[in-house]
Amino acid sequence: MKILIADDSRVMRQIVIRTLRQAGYDDHEIVEAEDGRDAYDKVQSEKPDLVLSDWNMPNMTGMECLEALRSSGSTVPFGFVTSEGSEEMRGKAADAGAMFLIAKPFTSETFQDHLDGVIV
Amino acid sequence: MTVFETAERRRVGDARPVITELIDGTTVQSIAEEAWISLVGEEEVLVPLPAELPADVLSSWVDVVGPWTGSVVLTAGRQTAEELTRALLRESAPEVLEEEDVVDAFGEIANVVGGSVKAALPGQSALSLPSVGTSPEVRNTADVCRIDLTWRGEPVSISVQGALPALPVPHDPHP
Repeated sequence: MKILIADDSRVMRQIVIRTLRQAGYDDHEIVEAEDGRDAYDKVQSEKPDLVLSDWNMPNMTGMECLEALRSSGSTVPFGFVTSEGSEEMRGKAADAGAMFLIAKPFTSETFQDHLDGVIV
Repeated sequence: MTVFETAERRRVGDARPVITELIDGTTVQSIAEEAWISLVGEEEVLVPLPAELPADVLSSWVDVVGPWTGSVVLTAGRQTAEELTRALLRESAPEVLEEEDVVDAFGEIANVVGGSVKAALPGQSALSLPSVGTSPEVRNTADVCRIDLTWRGEPVSISVQGALPALPVPHDPHP
């Protein structure tokens, strides 16, 4: 599978990649995006099978990216990995068509809980 | 409860809350510990032992805007901030850290701690992107929940502090 990881923090992108590996998802192609705009563009150009996106990012937030993708007809599976873990944000994410929301701080077990069956 | 007490309670309830009414140090500490385990490493412990911060400190923070408005500020010595950055980067840490790496990693810790603090507060709030530099000033000493910890023997403080000055004490027309 090709997985797109969008986060404006390079360190956090590395932590997400490391956690994917620790959770057992270590045989997948990773594409990185540094904000929502970059993620939107890379969904078009790289055609990933899954997007794991931060919420708060400059230029375009993760939510704006998801809304833009759905408006453009993209049905790419999309999940948030974000420090916004409140019930309110989980509701907003689900309403916008996100498959799941993994709240930071996370562990490899949290990743397995949300990604088993999503990453194959 | 008398009518007066009810009205008084409502009036007090309408006032802007200070952070100590909304969250306590134990909760902030457990939020910080979870962030440390996830980001810094499973073996990394934060010890609730206050120690004096060195002169050369660096802060990272996120702002929370909502029923309570303020900042969640992480402060440590500059060298500790660099050690934290190396811990987050692990095997991909360069031999010589760039300032950009420290800003990114130290800011991300504040972002994760701040996001959890925000989620623990009542009502709906917005969270800013992280900033790194000199800590925002404390505007109201009553509107601060601060914990002082040590990591690898070095001091780290987390301050959840209001952005607004104290409200003026209402004038009592019937002293």
